[in-house]
Amino acid sequence: MRFVVLTAIRETRAAWTRLVFFFVCIAIGVGAIVALRSIIQSVRQVLSTEAKTLIAADILLSTDRPWQPGTPELIAARVSAVPGAQRIASTELPTMARPAEESAGKGGVARVVELRAVQPGFPFYGQLTLQDGRPYSHDLLKDKGALVRPELLAQLGLRVGDRVAIGKAQFTIRGVISNEPGRSLSAFSLGPRVLIDDQELSDTGLLTFGSRVVRQELLRVPESAIDALARDLQSKLQPQFVRVRSYRDRQEQIGEDFERAENYLSLVGLVIVVLGGIAVSSVTRVFVRQKIKSIAIMKCVGGTSRQIFAVYLLQALALGVLGSVIGVALAAIAIAVIPADMNQIGTITVTYGLTRSAVAQGVGIGTLVALLFAMVPLLEVRRVKPSLLLRHETSGRRFDWLQWIAAALVGAALVRLATWQAASLVVGLSVCAGFIGLTVILYLAGMALTWMTRPLTRSSWFPMRQAVLHLRRPGNQTSVILLTVGLGAFFIMGVRGLQVGLLNQFAMQIGEETPDLFLVDIQKDQVDPLRVFLADRLPGTEANLLPVLRARVTGRGVSFEEMEDLKGRGMLSREYTITYRGGLEPNETLVAGRFPNPGEVSIEESIRQRFNISIGDVMRFDVLGRSVNATVTGVRHVEWRDGRSGGFMFVFGAGTFESAPHWFIAPVKANTANAADRARLTHDLVVRFPNVSVIDLREILQAVRKVFGVVTVAIDVVGTLVILTGGLILVGAVAVTKFQRVYEAAIFKTLGASSRTMAAMLMVEYGLLGTLAGAIGSFGALALGWGVSRYALDIPWRPALHENVISTVVTSLLIMTIGVVASADVLRRKPLATLRAE
Amino acid sequence: MLGDSLTAGLGLPPNEAYPALLGVRLREEGYDWEVVNAGVSGDTSGDGRQRVGWALEGDVRILIVALGANDGLRGLPVGQMKENLQIIIDRARQRGIPVLLAGMEAPPNYGDQYTKEYREVFSDLARRNKVEFVPFLLEGVAGDPRLNQPDGLHPTGAGAAHIADHLWPTVEKMLKK
Repeated sequence: MRFVVLTAIRETRAAWTRLVFFFVCIAIGVGAIVALRSIIQSVRQVLSTEAKTLIAADILLSTDRPWQPGTPELIAARVSAVPGAQRIASTELPTMARPAEESAGKGGVARVVELRAVQPGFPFYGQLTLQDGRPYSHDLLKDKGALVRPELLAQLGLRVGDRVAIGKAQFTIRGVISNEPGRSLSAFSLGPRVLIDDQELSDTGLLTFGSRVVRQELLRVPESAIDALARDLQSKLQPQFVRVRSYRDRQEQIGEDFERAENYLSLVGLVIVVLGGIAVSSVTRVFVRQKIKSIAIMKCVGGTSRQIFAVYLLQALALGVLGSVIGVALAAIAIAVIPADMNQIGTITVTYGLTRSAVAQGVGIGTLVALLFAMVPLLEVRRVKPSLLLRHETSGRRFDWLQWIAAALVGAALVRLATWQAASLVVGLSVCAGFIGLTVILYLAGMALTWMTRPLTRSSWFPMRQAVLHLRRPGNQTSVILLTVGLGAFFIMGVRGLQVGLLNQFAMQIGEETPDLFLVDIQKDQVDPLRVFLADRLPGTEANLLPVLRARVTGRGVSFEEMEDLKGRGMLSREYTITYRGGLEPNETLVAGRFPNPGEVSIEESIRQRFNISIGDVMRFDVLGRSVNATVTGVRHVEWRDGRSGGFMFVFGAGTFESAPHWFIAPVKANTANAADRARLTHDLVVRFPNVSVIDLREILQAVRKVFGVVTVAIDVVGTLVILTGGLILVGAVAVTKFQRVYEAAIFKTLGASSRTMAAMLMVEYGLLGTLAGAIGSFGALALGWGVSRYALDIPWRPALHENVISTVVTSLLIMTIGVVASADVLRRKPLATLRAE
Repeated sequence: MLGDSLTAGLGLPPNEAYPALLGVRLREEGYDWEVVNAGVSGDTSGDGRQRVGWALEGDVRILIVALGANDGLRGLPVGQMKENLQIIIDRARQRGIPVLLAGMEAPPNYGDQYTKEYREVFSDLARRNKVEFVPFLLEGVAGDPRLNQPDGLHPTGAGAAHIADHLWPTVEKMLKK
């Protein structure tokens, strides 16, 4: 044992300068893993905190029925079974608020408000902010206090300090709410919020039989227990019409996008692990290869296989561990120098720091990869006779069980480590599939390349001839470079493509143009006055008033049998909101056919798919009690996320229902964010057009925008970092192959090749490899982008072909440059020095 | 039948909504009449007022007005609802069509004052216009989980049958005239 350690140390000391380079390469790989993983974890933390403020809790239970006997006890029992879990109750109901009598002369006016009664501790996440900047505390609600939205003050002509009557009780207005976390995302609001204490709700006498009340339980649960508890409660409470959702619930749009971002981050995390692994493996491989000669010599002087194996494995292991530790240090430095403006995302501060799990994973991968790539070739040494090694003969390949078992064991450990924390199985699987698929393709491409370039071996240009011969020589590096560069290019371009796709997706949703006021129930005779009103109050905004009607599909064709047939299709016979107009809206595209003329109808894609309706079919609608037949003339695709012009399953030609009674809706973008101004606008609107309901989505949109802001920056930062570090890793991995050519470069020079010829030779060789690897990598990236967009992220896939072409060119130029620059010292050195050293 | 989602039969197959059941009853009792369902989900009394002209075109013999539930759910001003319903009754009368007014209750969460004023709109209108009147369309159905869909608002098939039975005596009386 002592001999093993000593020899290992002595050997290391001898090749000190070369080892430094190896260490740096491993450190870059491991450092990239550690730094990016840490950043991803910090960002994810912030993301989930933001997502939690949207419901002000980890899990939200809500029901619009009274709790059944035993249900509150059941919830209490389940929650208290989880250590550290807390819960608070909240009750929401629409009701009437009027100024209390003594607030002189303002009696009589009543306004609909959304009353919410909360317990101390609300909200679990986010902050309830008051307009005057005072911090919210539950004490403000004690002894008949109320906090209200500014709209209510405007509507009732009240001020802070006045009293407001709700049901049988009176409350003193203690403050004005400017932002409330956990406001229902269902968007439809009947009136301004009034917040009171849960204990005083019963004093209003509003909770009687038949009241429309939503009862909620907000739960705070340790992260690890959320999913299990949510599932458990769901199965218990669903039959009782209690809705259970956690902050990461997919049912909400925001939950879905949150999951997309998480999937992307775990994908990137996985990719960086693979890239880092490639760097480490490339270094180890070269390292071991160089030792073969020393191994042979040691065998000659009596070293046993076991001893030799131990010496070099120990060295490789030390290389891996030390390199990894240096990598962790590099990561710590990298994170410390992250510019301050990247920490600030809107109003949220992200604190980046190394996380323990990221460090563990990075070091683990560094060590295991080194072990794997050292152990497999070293095991071969057992069977090798010293004489064979001395004569540079390659032994015939035999199947070696031990070698395979070792590879399988370490490989399995690696996969386990790489998928650790990769939250989504789909993402993991698609990356692995891409990885394996591309490896096979690249291996085959290597063989194809050597075969295809055969005619070039007779080229009259010496460097070309030699470069092509290098590709197929024994001990060539064709497949190694192809694999490294191809996989690297594949992952970098893939990540980049997904980043662009995701950001496009989010940009559409958070666009400043998104309407934030929805006016509904506008009557026909109010269209023009309303247009004038909006033009006056919101100059510069073009109000888009959409006519809407309710209709039911009663048949396809006019025969009764077909109608029976439709009934089986369920959904189609429900009521649809329809509209009529003269052309496509910006959020629509024509998929087939043409836009309908008056009396004809255009259907949305999903209707065509689901109900198998085709162009030319006659559909029968029941429009407000009248039967209307319309021919389907076209199919549209509606971009549902773009809410500017609404989305309709059925659009009729211009003027079809001009004479039918119908009303209009108008999505409007109010040009002011000031709550009081908005309240005044809403108030004036409602006074002028009393039947029009105004739905103000600003607060919800803002909350959503904030989350998207975080997500966007996270994706941007992480994506850019992966490209930079990925590039760096590639440089290292390719540069390290120079050690294989030091010896032959010296021989070429001895035989009279000039440095220039050598450079040209390297350029052709690396250029060929780089181009091929880049091209295959970019095709692979397109496939990866397609697969992940479609199956894991669920976003439309838009290939950016020109970007792939540019990346391919950049890759080949980069590889060519690295090949030459890395070997620069070899080219400059006198050949004799090299020959002696080797 | 001019109404909202209760009349339209939201969440029910078209032949299970209460107007369809009334139609079946009419045929069974030997009346050769047709029931036209002009119920539109989400309609308030204001929407009804806008489309009463459209609904009354054709050979309409009796108008059943069952509106107001959405006004109540949304807490819209009762004065406005009264005005709208009055205009609907007026339109029908101009054409000599007898009217059956079906009343509604506002949910109690809006407080005693609102629910009282709301209730009085219907009885007031019925008294002043001397039209046939059923005080509460959902009598015996509202609040009973067995007769309502999971949303607690819309009746099930069984609930719709209850409504049809509840309306039938008044409808029959009008048919006989």
